[in-house]
Amino acid sequence: MGSLVGLAVALVVYVPYSRSSPQGAGGGTTLGLIYGSVAFAFMLFAGLLGARKKVPIWRLGRAQAWMRGHLWLGFVSFPLIVLHSGFHFGVGLTKALMWLFSVVFVSGIVGAVLQHFMPRITTQRIPLETIYEQIGRVRTQLMEEAISLVDEAYAVLHGDVSQASEQQRAASASAGTMGGLTVASGMQVDEEASSEFKEFFRGEIQPFLAQGGSRGHILADRSRAQAMFRQLRTLLPPNLHSTVDDLENICEEKREIDQQARYHRVLHGWLLVHIPASYALLILGAVHAVMALRY
Amino acid sequence: MSPAAKLVELIIDGTPVSVAQGTTIFDAARTHGIPIPTLCHQQNENPVGVCRVCVVDIGQRVYAAACIRQAEQGMTVKTNTEPVLGVRRTLVELLMSDHPSPCARQQHSGDCELERLAEQAGIQQPRFARRTTPRGHDDSSLAIAVDHEACILCDRCIRGCDDIRNNWVLARRGKGYQAGIAFDNNLPMGGSSCVSCGECMVSCPTGALTNRSAVGTKLEGGALDIGALLGLPIFKNVSGTFLELNSHAIVERKFRAGEIICREGDFGATAFYIVGGKTEVYLSSPIAHVKTEGSAKGFLSKLRSMLQSREQDERTEESSRVSIPIDAPVDLPYDNPIAELGPGDLFGEMTCMSYYPRSATVRAKTDCTMLEMLRNVLDIMQRNKTFREQLDRTYRQRALDSHLRSVPVLASLTPDFIDHLRNRVELLRFTPGQVICTQGEPADSFYLVRLGFVKVSQSRPGGDLVLAYLARGSYFAEMSLLTGTPHMATCSALDHVEVVRVPGEDFQVMLDRFPEIRRKLEEAAAEHMEQNRQRVTKVADVTVDQFLNQGLMEAQSLLILDLDRCTRCDQCVRACADAHDGVSRLIRDGLRFDRYLVATSCRQCRDPLCMVGCPVGSIRRRNTLEVIIEDWCIGCGQCANNCPYGNINMHPFPVELDDPVYPGRRMAGVKVKATSCDLCLDHEEPSCVYACPHDAAHRVNPLEFFGGLLKQQTVAKPGK
Repeated sequence: MGSLVGLAVALVVYVPYSRSSPQGAGGGTTLGLIYGSVAFAFMLFAGLLGARKKVPIWRLGRAQAWMRGHLWLGFVSFPLIVLHSGFHFGVGLTKALMWLFSVVFVSGIVGAVLQHFMPRITTQRIPLETIYEQIGRVRTQLMEEAISLVDEAYAVLHGDVSQASEQQRAASASAGTMGGLTVASGMQVDEEASSEFKEFFRGEIQPFLAQGGSRGHILADRSRAQAMFRQLRTLLPPNLHSTVDDLENICEEKREIDQQARYHRVLHGWLLVHIPASYALLILGAVHAVMALRY
Repeated sequence: MSPAAKLVELIIDGTPVSVAQGTTIFDAARTHGIPIPTLCHQQNENPVGVCRVCVVDIGQRVYAAACIRQAEQGMTVKTNTEPVLGVRRTLVELLMSDHPSPCARQQHSGDCELERLAEQAGIQQPRFARRTTPRGHDDSSLAIAVDHEACILCDRCIRGCDDIRNNWVLARRGKGYQAGIAFDNNLPMGGSSCVSCGECMVSCPTGALTNRSAVGTKLEGGALDIGALLGLPIFKNVSGTFLELNSHAIVERKFRAGEIICREGDFGATAFYIVGGKTEVYLSSPIAHVKTEGSAKGFLSKLRSMLQSREQDERTEESSRVSIPIDAPVDLPYDNPIAELGPGDLFGEMTCMSYYPRSATVRAKTDCTMLEMLRNVLDIMQRNKTFREQLDRTYRQRALDSHLRSVPVLASLTPDFIDHLRNRVELLRFTPGQVICTQGEPADSFYLVRLGFVKVSQSRPGGDLVLAYLARGSYFAEMSLLTGTPHMATCSALDHVEVVRVPGEDFQVMLDRFPEIRRKLEEAAAEHMEQNRQRVTKVADVTVDQFLNQGLMEAQSLLILDLDRCTRCDQCVRACADAHDGVSRLIRDGLRFDRYLVATSCRQCRDPLCMVGCPVGSIRRRNTLEVIIEDWCIGCGQCANNCPYGNINMHPFPVELDDPVYPGRRMAGVKVKATSCDLCLDHEEPSCVYACPHDAAHRVNPLEFFGGLLKQQTVAKPGK
């Protein structure tokens, strides 16, 4: 609130100042220098947030207060610089500075908006969220789980009861057969179903689980994936439907972690622009200040 | 045969035979090389003639059982005529119809007597219907597996137990299809008074009683001569065959003076019995707790973790015990944690029976000879009457004093009263799950935990509520004795537990003689009752399932992250790590409640699993329910592994240790200590909360913070 009031005061002062200045408003006038100095001080404070984060437990004020200061003072510094420049981009270094500041300002606004809304979206859409750094590990686990499920399913399709899971035996029994015995001897080995299943796993599921991002993959689309799994169920005997359900859940989880990775990149990706541009701005701003005052 | 014995003459299968009067047909035939098959009879037991497989034709109306029918003058016996063989075949076929073929014995050693007879008789598939009512298995004994399905009711085990070993544990139970063998009053074998002598097992003709050998485990060390083992009093009355079957599970180990026998914190599966020599048992971990300290005033203040003893840093409700409980017959003094063990001492019982980490380091003080054994042999030993008596005697003589004095409230007991108790107390063993005392039943004894963990739970309308886990050095049933009411909770063995039972009348005498102890016990009881009341009230007040399931209502203070605000920047984790010498006590993961992530930090669970299995009992609750880790934590990590929420961390500290290569020399090493979130108590606000730039991290009282949410959900629930 204070920063907005300050900005309003600056704007109010600017109108008579610009009208009364014979050469128009500019950075070289007293008021222009004040605008510039205050704005640069704000920029420096905003830039110190990064340093503050490096020492999170130093009792220099709550990080939340620093963040608020960063947002508001950073926000106000841009119009102050515009007032400092008299709404001119200038030439050479000043022009570069103005463009750089525009980039910092816009990326900062975008970042603030993203950091306001994205956490909520992530929370709502990713119920199985994991720690971002663990995503690779989770993906590997999902792959291992899928391979083990498929191995069990192959064994069942080929009548190897020793490899069948308890769940599959139970499913077999509930399908009107006699549990393990039937799995071993009573179920028909359906070569066609077996090869279709193998093909689906090797051709679709395995590549989908293996690759980091999954854009463009057929299983990355929930509705298409559901249709494919529906079709797979019609091919396979009922006692393998629970395996298909598990595989479908694994793919769903993979979709979620892919989505989480995307959201995470969006949530933090803007910093790749904002931070280097901010450092450049501070350095060039300092150079500009020294040059302007000295020469 | 005595010279005066009168002889009788008979003909067996055409062969004239002369035997002493009173000899059975079976023995008469056997001594003359004529084999008669049998199942229920063996040489060293009195015959009972229940299987009838040994039937022979003696020219009478019915066939006679050769094992019990005495030879008579002029008798003509036919043992292998077609009709006799047919009858035997039918008998074997009938027995086989209920026999799980191949039974455990046939599978392991191929010598099931029934299956061998069936094979000899050419019986492939019995013609008779199988019994439809299963008789079940009993795997409660560590040494012997009982498969009632394979039992043919020959009674050989019963005679072995009763007539040969005079243990009188085994008997018959039930009638008809329900008939079977029973231990004591039909108890599980592991919970019965069975002494694991193994006689029943070596007597059994089938796979009904088989050896439970430790599969896949081979102990290093010298193999033992069974004869030498049987010569040791601890194996008196144990069957030699049984010991032979378990010979791989016990070895002789020799250690030179100074050699380390086992180290604290290591996982193992064996116990040691000292045959000769002396050992030192000690803790090499520093006897200190983790203290996080730092100036809260300066701008650049940083927390620092260090180890401090209770003299240097006194904490609220810290234990004032003067001794540290370990997995050995002695406790270690807090000030100088070292003790000596000698011949006849057994250590490592908890590690062996329940696979807990070693509680102390044991080093040979002189050259030592030990028996190292796996749990099946230890079970045999512990059930052996001679060894039990020795253990009991040793405990009374050497450990009772220190055990009683290690309990702070009983520290002021006088030597004469301890002497009085010496002959009054009783050492009782309980197997996992066995109930020691039941809620609602009259209290007649006071109990001290000597080994293992006791679960104290109270039966509530919504299910059982675990009130506490009691480790070695704890006591129970004092509240009921003080108030004269029935037991207020059920206490059961969580693993292999040994308790010292002090009779109620002696407890009363103690209260009368020592008013100070009475006062302390009453105070402690009042605190426990209040604590239990609060816990029960909390459970009764909160009706939201998820809230209950996540154990959130137990928490005094939760670290929650508002996921709608959290940008997953991990500043909280970084701050926590920075605050604790780089070891974060916070993981930004955990269960979600509504839009909040309940991050990992101790939540004082309803069922505090972290406390189960601590080999030195160093983790416990304060009366505020907050977890406290006592100074004698050995850093084995059992509590951290047990905590389902990952809320206990292991913090490394540099220390000086004994050099294993050069005894007597010291070397630099690292020891870890268990820690949990300390809320950065030196600061006004926990570091994680302070460092969160997005106002997402909060330390809250769950019932207050989630109060509104809980009310909404409670109202929304139908019928509530």
